[in-house]
Amino acid sequence: MSCMGHDIPIRGFLETSFIDWKGCLSSVLFTGGCNFRCPFCHNPDLVLHPDTMEEIPLEHIILNLRKYKKWVDRVVITGGEPTIHMDLFHIIGRIRSEGIKVKLDTNGSSPFILKGLINDGLIDYVAMDVKGPVNRYKRWCGVNVNTKTIEESIRLILEGRVDYEFRMTVVPFLHREDDVYEVAEYIRDAKRFTIQEFRPHNTLDRSYENIKPFSPDKVAKIRETVEGIMTGGNKQTVSHQRPAVKKQSATTTTSATFIE
Amino acid sequence: METTDLNLFVRTSEESIADWDRSKIIDALIRETLIDRDTANEVSKDAEQMIRRSGIKVITAPLIRELVNAKLIEKGLENTRKMHTRLGMPLYDVDSLILHPNKENANVPHGPEATNLTLSENIKKEYALLSVFSQDVADAHMNGDIHLHDLGFIDRPYCSGQSLEYIKKFGLDLPHSLSMAKPAKHPEVLLAHLVKFAAALQSHFAGAIGWDAINVFFAPYLEGMSDADVKQLSQMLIFEFSQQAVARGGQAIFTDINIYWEIPQHFVNVPAIGPGGKFTGKTYGEYEKEAQRFAWSLFEVFKEGDGAGRPFFFPKPIVHITEKFFRTEGHIDFLNLISDVAADKGNTYYVFDRGETAKISECCRLSFKLDERDLLDAKEPWRMRYCALQNVSLNLPRLAYMAKNDDTQLFNLITERFILAVKAHKEKRVFMEKLLSLGEDGPLALLTMNRDGMPYLRFNLASHLIGMVGLNEMVQIHTGEEMHESKRALKFGIKVMAHMNLLTDKMRRQENMKIVLEQTPAESTSYRFARLDMRYHSPLSGRIVKGDIASGEVYYTNSTHLNVKHAMNPIERVTNEGIFHPLIEAGSISHVWLGEAHPSREAVADFVIKTFRYTTNDQIAFSPEFTTCNKCHRTSRGLTDTCSYCGSPDVDGITRITGYFTKVSSWNKGKLGELKDRYRNTDYFSETKKKAVNE
Repeated sequence: MSCMGHDIPIRGFLETSFIDWKGCLSSVLFTGGCNFRCPFCHNPDLVLHPDTMEEIPLEHIILNLRKYKKWVDRVVITGGEPTIHMDLFHIIGRIRSEGIKVKLDTNGSSPFILKGLINDGLIDYVAMDVKGPVNRYKRWCGVNVNTKTIEESIRLILEGRVDYEFRMTVVPFLHREDDVYEVAEYIRDAKRFTIQEFRPHNTLDRSYENIKPFSPDKVAKIRETVEGIMTGGNKQTVSHQRPAVKKQSATTTTSATFIE
Repeated sequence: METTDLNLFVRTSEESIADWDRSKIIDALIRETLIDRDTANEVSKDAEQMIRRSGIKVITAPLIRELVNAKLIEKGLENTRKMHTRLGMPLYDVDSLILHPNKENANVPHGPEATNLTLSENIKKEYALLSVFSQDVADAHMNGDIHLHDLGFIDRPYCSGQSLEYIKKFGLDLPHSLSMAKPAKHPEVLLAHLVKFAAALQSHFAGAIGWDAINVFFAPYLEGMSDADVKQLSQMLIFEFSQQAVARGGQAIFTDINIYWEIPQHFVNVPAIGPGGKFTGKTYGEYEKEAQRFAWSLFEVFKEGDGAGRPFFFPKPIVHITEKFFRTEGHIDFLNLISDVAADKGNTYYVFDRGETAKISECCRLSFKLDERDLLDAKEPWRMRYCALQNVSLNLPRLAYMAKNDDTQLFNLITERFILAVKAHKEKRVFMEKLLSLGEDGPLALLTMNRDGMPYLRFNLASHLIGMVGLNEMVQIHTGEEMHESKRALKFGIKVMAHMNLLTDKMRRQENMKIVLEQTPAESTSYRFARLDMRYHSPLSGRIVKGDIASGEVYYTNSTHLNVKHAMNPIERVTNEGIFHPLIEAGSISHVWLGEAHPSREAVADFVIKTFRYTTNDQIAFSPEFTTCNKCHRTSRGLTDTCSYCGSPDVDGITRITGYFTKVSSWNKGKLGELKDRYRNTDYFSETKKKAVNE
């Protein structure tokens, strides 16, 4: 629908977030569609039925970013999975031309895109979700995936050409505690590895709504152990949470990201 | 109740019936009313006949009184009947009161003390409506045109703000107290005096007890103390106030502590009072480091929370953000600390004092710019004692139902109601004057004590608050749009408030009373007005009130706030709500509801700085939500049905109700409806929603 001939995949826009870019105010763009089917995903509509959600023209978002720029000069692009859209370069380029910094949330399945974004200096921060140990990726993300892409993205990010963090959502029954440590071991040189709590609301696989999350004590213990494994960076594993979203009105409310 | 005990009445045995003495009815009528003896005699005979005829065996004093009242009505002696009225409560009500919690004010716990409070409040409420206020004011309150706040505390002023200086200088020497204490020599003793004086004040005021620049005035006592000892003192102060659930009615003392990172300009050159009530020879400006040390450790304690990791409900820390704040060394670190507390526990209130004019906060929301006289007082800060006598709120939506879309009519009605509220203030003022004129022998002896050439309560400086409920709904009824829906609607809201602001000015001069507008906290009033309008202005009101009609959880939007449910950019909220704040002299607030989300302190601090710089907003607070477990005594983020630590369903939800944190289980239905609606900044915006807001 865009007048510029691009298929704009933006399906959601949160103008001001206190939590999506740690330490900063940010705006958040949600792109529709995802190549993964993680059963614990909190944005099933964004993943499964992006077409039912209203498309937000980029120009509208740009106008809005301009309006609030003296308050917020950062944008987080999240999904769905942003890197499945070739348009991403255009969107980010357009946002950057406004003098706004960009953070990308990705599942790491498109290392080429990621590399391009880094090489072109288009992103200031990247957060990659590692779903679990790389050798059993289908179990975590619900689809067959060429794990080389995941490994490649991790390697690319670890080069540290842009600021970054890795994140993992820990889901009881799906993950064993050891899975977390295996991931930590794999990326132990990373600057940041954030353990995120799973919340059983509005999950892609509805049966996951019956899973009781780990108690805060258990999560604290996992974080502590992870910290012990990590060798790089500031060892900051404190999570900043985005809560699950309540249904408020018809299509647009099935917000936002995974629980962080 | 002396009159009832005056043996006028028959007890509940047959002997007493035999002892029946009709003349006691006559005596009572003559003592209490303006009736003449012959008519009184006649009435007593009629009543007696009725009792004899009924063959009743057991009769109580109140019943005889009501029978006499019935006879008075028959004779058309309405005025006499009113004066002969008996105040009290039905058995059923007392029974359920003793067994079930009071939900009108979430700060009242459930227990024998709380029951006493409610019982006495009910009687004083009736007394106020019958005897203090004129019929039209009382009726307007009863039918929900206006709300007279804290009627159960009719014999006290509303709220009080002061500094520590009074007790530092004069010690704790209260009228009729069992012992007097000289000025404190040690910080712990000063703390003890502070808490006791606060408790004494709480039993003389209906609402908040505020303390100005508490860290600044404590500072001279902290010299030479180790950081650990200062931290200990902070802990004592906060726990003392948060655990004082032994004040009036088993309530905590509703305490505000005002905190400054810098030494406020008007105190910089003021001679400091130190141990023993003596001047230290230095000025407060020279105690900046000590004052900062105390401020810092107070927030460290707030950050830790109580023994179960819950936020402290009281005292409420109010931090003043001023131009000087940004020029004071270490302000970024302090801002990060208090923002950490805001994000993690929610305690911090940020008050924005823009420009270089001196401003102080009195009570819960009452703040004002210091005029010349106040600046003179500031040189002797123990004189700085401020109070508001009463708070009256207007039911704004009601006026819009009545105006039927006619602008002239609407503004005319606002003026009428405003004048009625002023009348209520004048009546309360007359009553307070009567009580205070009894001096140290009267019921308000504490407020008349005179240690520095004037009574503690400086009556001529007292404020009279006029609040508003449901501006948003008023605009919605009148224009068809809520204030967030269009610029036109927002502008209309501003026009209404500008009108009220102008009225305040005019009436202040005309009546020579300090009348000020305030954003009413309206914890129960927004529920009460909505409920009454459901009764009187149905079916239209059914489409206007917020919340859930089926469950009865209805409310009007507080004061001049925007719809709490609408998915609104918090920037837009603090900006647009802030447009109203300069029109409301006695303080306003915008809430950012956080829910479960845990922002980083830097993001909160950034937002605070920008709110100071880019808006006219007076005050903001961030409100997280918690679930605390009664079994394992631990606290987790978010409102959940079971404890996320141990799984027990025996949990309490905790979040901010209006101006303070409390357990959700104690909330009234209106507030519960609002809680469900609160937009917690999680939902993202759709195009259609945005269009409406951005035009």
